Amino acid sequence: MGIITVNQSDCLFWLGRYIERVYTTLRMYNREYDRLIDETQDSYGGYCQRMGITNIYKSREDFIKRYPFDASNPDSIRSTLDRAYDNAILLRGELGTQCLAYVEMTLYDLKRAEKAPAPLIPLRDLVDHILAFWGIVDDVIDSEQVRSILKTGKRIERIDMYARLRYDAGEVAHEIRRLSGRIPKTGLDYDQKTIDCLMELGKESPLNYGEILQKVDEIGANLIR
Amino acid sequence: MDFPAELELLKHTDNVNQLLARYGVKFSIYKNNQFKEQLFPFDAIPRIIEADEFAYLERGLKQRARALNEFLNDIYGSKAIVRDKVIPEDFIFMSKGYMAECDGVVPPKGIYNHISGIDLVKGKDGKWYILEDNLRVPSGASYPLIAREICRICCPETFRDIRIDDNRNYARLLKKTLDYVSCGGLSVVLTPGRFNSAYFEHSYLAEKTGAKLVSGTDLVVEDNQVYYKNYNGRKERVGAVYRRLSDEYLDPMNFCKDSLIGVPHLYDAFRAGNVAILNAVGNGVADDKGIYYFVPKMIHYYLEEEPILQNAPTYLPFYKEDMEYCQAHFDELVWKDVSEAGGYGVVFASKMTEEQKKDFKAHLDKDPRRFIAQDVIDFEDLDILGKDGSRVPRKADLRAFVLLADEAMVWHSGLTRFTTKPDSFIVNSSQGGGFKDTWVLSR
Repeated sequence: MGIITVNQSDCLFWLGRYIERVYTTLRMYNREYDRLIDETQDSYGGYCQRMGITNIYKSREDFIKRYPFDASNPDSIRSTLDRAYDNAILLRGELGTQCLAYVEMTLYDLKRAEKAPAPLIPLRDLVDHILAFWGIVDDVIDSEQVRSILKTGKRIERIDMYARLRYDAGEVAHEIRRLSGRIPKTGLDYDQKTIDCLMELGKESPLNYGEILQKVDEIGANLIR
Repeated sequence: MDFPAELELLKHTDNVNQLLARYGVKFSIYKNNQFKEQLFPFDAIPRIIEADEFAYLERGLKQRARALNEFLNDIYGSKAIVRDKVIPEDFIFMSKGYMAECDGVVPPKGIYNHISGIDLVKGKDGKWYILEDNLRVPSGASYPLIAREICRICCPETFRDIRIDDNRNYARLLKKTLDYVSCGGLSVVLTPGRFNSAYFEHSYLAEKTGAKLVSGTDLVVEDNQVYYKNYNGRKERVGAVYRRLSDEYLDPMNFCKDSLIGVPHLYDAFRAGNVAILNAVGNGVADDKGIYYFVPKMIHYYLEEEPILQNAPTYLPFYKEDMEYCQAHFDELVWKDVSEAGGYGVVFASKMTEEQKKDFKAHLDKDPRRFIAQDVIDFEDLDILGKDGSRVPRKADLRAFVLLADEAMVWHSGLTRFTTKPDSFIVNSSQGGGFKDTWVLSR
């Protein structure tokens, strides 16, 4: 097992979370963008509500522009990506320059997309970079601990997002199972009872999304102290 | 010197710059109280040095680094060079870089300047001149290192057709140096953090040498041993610290008490001989601009050799005869404040207003020790690619790197910095300069 500090494990965890949040919100944004083409009434308010973010947008055009690109808006995709970058930049030794380059490129292309006449096209490159990032994590990072902390962050964020967005029960349950298999490989202290409880929640029908959200956030908050 | 294959590389300039952005080759600056990360402008036209010419530089650079190491051993030891009146004691003990705390402390293997960044320029007369020695935390090696890697990807035919010494061994030289002086345990690169201007370099060199990149809070000193704190509280011994922060911030218990980026008691562990610090603490006395004047004398004194490389003609107003010369030729000289770095505190008298001259001369009379004066060297221009793709000449210097382990090693490359402004001599990145790769041709 590699030797990493508390700070580094914290950065790895949050890098995993923020990168996943960028990935999921990009996919959500694509869907929302498509929906807004057809709708006569603006539906972005509902999107903000489901995501738990403040609706600060004045119009659908304002939402389309500011939600992905506004660095001064803490809920924007850009801000989330900035936070991912802030963590990644501290991890060159753990991730390697090749792996870190995919985070660099994601940020670089998001800035490029802001100026593009059809931003959804360059935004697809971001999704490609993030998928490539996870691919290279598996391919080049030797330390299972490093990979597992990153992926635990990813799983926790994904369950959090899916629960907020009332995703399909099967997919949520699948992510919970993946999280419970991944956490023991992090080498970090965790509360098995909370994991077991989350597993049980994943088996319920219908799913209690609110309780799942609460439990998964509890696991995340207590993982690195 | 134009090679067809070199021109081939120039066609790939955009690709090179895109890859530099991809790999995050940046430096940081603070401007108007704002932190900004920006790409370090790279020019694809390399500086080319012939094998014989570099062999000459290599001999001179090794000689200089060895003499400076002897000087540091002496000055914190028996002080023979002062006793023998080769260097006036004012220049030692009044130097901002002299640290009384280091007196009598011998670093592991007696090495102080493990990594020397020596700045040179080539005059239009074809001679190389040393401009300054950087013996504290010289930066810049990572930029030509990664640029070469990228240029080889973009234009392999250039490197197939021209025989150039491979510069990608820098990490190996650095690791060899770390291992040689290590007191046993991990090697770490101690960074002030990601907001430091050279953070890219810190993280890149850590990755390439296999050292751990750490901040002050990741290390702890117990019983004069340095440990790296693991995520679960386990501690690993540290044998070598490649520090990238200044002496004064290194250890709040021994130096600047307000430092939040240092490691408490790190210097105690160093003093006890339990950890190597690269470069050693107290080196500032040897790269003081005033001490620079005396380096040729050091070479005579310690090595009993003739200096191979020349200093730029330098005058010390501290000496009466030099002051007289400086007063008579004031307008022809470039004046340097010995306490400044990074291209700051450098003024060309020819560009001063009358009022500025009067003001400057008053400071000079009051504290002559604070300034040195140099003849303005008309140094060689190197071409860079202008925005329209045409070649334009710009002033450029060369930072060469010398590493001291069981032997002195000169990296067969270096950071060539150039000024982007047509009328400027200041090449520092903090003042808008860019960089080039430095090709040393193989025999």
